[in-house]
Amino acid sequence: MKKIITLLLSVTMLAGLLCGCGAQGPSLTEEEKNTIVIWHDKEEAVSGALLEELKTLVPDVTVQMEYKSNLTEALKMVGNDPKAAPDMYFFAHDKIGVYAEMGILAPVTGLIDRQTLDAAYVPMTLDAAVYKGEIYQLPVYFETLLFMYNRRYMADEAVPDTTEKLYAYMEEKTRGGHYGFVEQHSTAYYSAGWIHGFGGCIMDENGQAGLSLPETITALEYHRKFVELMPGESEYATVNTLFQEGKAHATIGGPWLVSAARASGMDLGIAAMPVIDETQIPISPYMGVQGVQVLKYAAENKTEAARKVLQALMQPSVGVALARVSGCAPAVEACYEEEEVSSDDVVMAMRATAENTIPMPNRPEMDIMWTVAADLLVNINMSGQDVTESCNAAQQNAEELIKKMQ
Amino acid sequence: MKRPRGKQNLKLFIVNLILILICFITFIPILYAFSVSINEQNSLLGSDFSFIPGRVTIENYRKVFTEEPVLMWFRNSLILAVSTVVISLGTGIPAAYIFSRRRFPGRNAILQLLILLYAFPSLLSMTALYKLLSPMGLINTRTGLIIVYTGTMAVFALWNMKGYFDTIPVEIEESAMIDGAGPVRIVCRIVLPLAKPTIAVTAMMVLIYVWNEYIFAINFMTGESSYTLAAGLYSLQANETSGSWPVFSAASLVVSLPILVIFFAMQRNMASGLTSGGVKG
Amino acid sequence: MLPEIMEVGLNIMKKTDTKKKNSTLFSYLWSAPSLLLISLIVIFPIIYTGYISLTNMNVYHWFTYDLIGLDNYKEALLVFDSGFLSALILTVVWTAVNMILQLVIAYVLASLLNTNGLKLRNGYRTLLIFPWAMPGYVSILLWKTGMFNSQFGLLNQWMERLGLSPVRWLADDVSAFICCTVVNLWLALPFMITIIDGALQSVDRSYYESALLDGAGFWQRTWYITIPAIRPIIAPSVVITIFTTFKQFDVIYLMTQQAGAKTGAHIHTILTYAYENAFITNNYGYSSAVSMIIFVLLIVFSCAINMKPKEES
Repeated sequence: MKKIITLLLSVTMLAGLLCGCGAQGPSLTEEEKNTIVIWHDKEEAVSGALLEELKTLVPDVTVQMEYKSNLTEALKMVGNDPKAAPDMYFFAHDKIGVYAEMGILAPVTGLIDRQTLDAAYVPMTLDAAVYKGEIYQLPVYFETLLFMYNRRYMADEAVPDTTEKLYAYMEEKTRGGHYGFVEQHSTAYYSAGWIHGFGGCIMDENGQAGLSLPETITALEYHRKFVELMPGESEYATVNTLFQEGKAHATIGGPWLVSAARASGMDLGIAAMPVIDETQIPISPYMGVQGVQVLKYAAENKTEAARKVLQALMQPSVGVALARVSGCAPAVEACYEEEEVSSDDVVMAMRATAENTIPMPNRPEMDIMWTVAADLLVNINMSGQDVTESCNAAQQNAEELIKKMQ
Repeated sequence: MKRPRGKQNLKLFIVNLILILICFITFIPILYAFSVSINEQNSLLGSDFSFIPGRVTIENYRKVFTEEPVLMWFRNSLILAVSTVVISLGTGIPAAYIFSRRRFPGRNAILQLLILLYAFPSLLSMTALYKLLSPMGLINTRTGLIIVYTGTMAVFALWNMKGYFDTIPVEIEESAMIDGAGPVRIVCRIVLPLAKPTIAVTAMMVLIYVWNEYIFAINFMTGESSYTLAAGLYSLQANETSGSWPVFSAASLVVSLPILVIFFAMQRNMASGLTSGGVKG
Repeated sequence: MLPEIMEVGLNIMKKTDTKKKNSTLFSYLWSAPSLLLISLIVIFPIIYTGYISLTNMNVYHWFTYDLIGLDNYKEALLVFDSGFLSALILTVVWTAVNMILQLVIAYVLASLLNTNGLKLRNGYRTLLIFPWAMPGYVSILLWKTGMFNSQFGLLNQWMERLGLSPVRWLADDVSAFICCTVVNLWLALPFMITIIDGALQSVDRSYYESALLDGAGFWQRTWYITIPAIRPIIAPSVVITIFTTFKQFDVIYLMTQQAGAKTGAHIHTILTYAYENAFITNNYGYSSAVSMIIFVLLIVFSCAINMKPKEES
């Protein structure tokens, strides 16, 4: 009996091994060399506009934009497998570290030289894409959280410019199913702004967890009193609906919320982030840079086509088109000379807020920090546990998990 | 053993009442989705929800059919589902029959082993299957997905049908065997008609699994045109930056309907093939 | 074509007398396609995971991993701390509660569906399987945001109408556990009802008739005729369901722990616990070792309580 199973298993293994040997494919045909497949997980408006632009700018390269759910997981799986992997993908910069370490990304400086990049881009968008000294992403647009308010309740003059004023406003207005201010208080992406405002961090640039820093602890301690005046749900559907339905007067949300709020007929105002009284630093959220990352296989085997596509993406018309269709803030500096962009209040607000933002860390360790930090926030904000103790425990947990990555 | 008519009617009335109540409870979330899908306002949530929305619209259903390649997804799902069901039954019936009827070395061990395999936490299986399919060039092909689906359901198909075959009396087959019928004929002429309910149920399970499976579909297939209904629905999924709840709700109901129609149509076949008074094993 | 060859083959075997060896070969030949598929899709991933668990495959050695022996297991055993223990206990409770409720409710409903003279039987059956016809994540999403949401959920809207104060259903451990159980039942019952209903169909009516003649009551009939008769048929499905319930990840994770939507409840099953303490490290070698240990643990566990479908021999 055991023999039979062993036999069965060995056959299976053998089949797998034999097939594995045949993986090296023949060299590419001209047509294949001229086809660039780009994975993305963006909405139709953005990907469609990008594709349109690329079609006009590089007519001689066949560009295919393919929607891929679960893009990040799928990439880990397919790696550089030329049969299944795309040539490029369009995603935020925060996963660069993972894929660079895995060895599937090629630095974009191999296709476009550094000076050209420096001359063209808003500097912070390039900085965000640097991992271990190399630039792994061609930035396209950036996004950050914004302070938004409903003018029906909050007049432009009444917008709180400090957090204490915000708190006073919340205390006054939060009653009877209405909220003065709501945010996704127990998710790391949203709380990071408060932590940064106190000089703390979730993870520093060297990959060290910063959850037990005194600044982080103070920030979370301070933030807690705001959370008490917010709903007991932290996920986006509740928070956004409260704001859109006019049940919450103000919120901190992404640019994607703007079109939905305006569509519901709201007179939406956008203001600068309130300044934290204690530190005199405004709430400083994370910034994400969306851009194109090139896979090693494509950079080596489809060099010319890949370069042409990247060069096309550097044209200001791409950024302008994206700003038009979905209010994205272009990464190319020249776009801001266009009237269409400089007159867009959402784009310009993002540009202004971005002065006080911190790019999301792009190190692989961040994958762990998102989860650990979210757990910590839930423990503090929703389960009412002691801040210092929770922070220390979370820090220890994070350090252990980071050690286990190796 | 006849009961008085009145008592029987009362019993039926109560049974009906209970079943209607249970069906209603089951349907609350579905009614909710339905009501969201025909509501004009673009929100899943609302503080003044009622099952009958103020302004009714079929706009979201129109969008499902016109703005998304639903018919193409439907075609993909159908091809995958039919192929998987056919292959699952084609491989499962002989195996189940053999494991039910014959005693051979390794039989018990394999049966027990197969069940224990379910204990494996399959969170990591995806990568392994990728490594298996990719060298064979089966990534991004329907064949690859069909193999994965058939294999995933094979243990269930084998065990489920074997369990039912066990209850079919061997005596019927033995008399046929004396008449000189070979094993293939015995299976086709005698066992299959008697096992219709379990075959129908197994086919249904496989069908539903394929219909609802999305993890393999989105990871192994690229491009919206190759998605199945469940994978397409997943990509439509409303999230913070995109998507529309009402369209998503409408799409989820549309996806479910074919299954219900098929189930309803197949019910007759799920009724017992065993006549009362037959020989029991 | 193939069956015919087999038939010819068998006839030859018959002629050369029923040699045991040939009969065994024939048995394996018939079950080969099915067993081959199982080896590829079910067994191969287990072997592969076992192999990866001996390597240092992680983000830093994604394609260039080496065999490192049992190091991952040394690390992995540290996951099995007190947190894991309580997750294990919770998983056992979760499985027991869910299985008992599932079997009882499914049995009652299936019996009701099999009431003599029930005209709408097929209609009810179709309606009752509706939850099953929807992809699982859609259903869970519907329950979470549509029913249990503390601000807008249907439950709280009803509570308000009754003059009660809203409840954060998913924030408290006990109520979150109950909510997850409700959702899991909703998802799993259609399968169980179908299986038990199918099994009930196969029970020979004549047994009941003679039992009724003997004056057996409802409970006696259930206990002495129905249950023994359906047990062998439903056993495989029940065992499979026990394993799936034990390994349940989606319901609990999506309801209470999904990234960006944590609700504050701390209910961890072994899988969600392993996910948060191993899988998020992107260290495949290490995660594989954790998976293998859980696998072995489950096998030992199921052998210990002798949970295998019994065949009447």
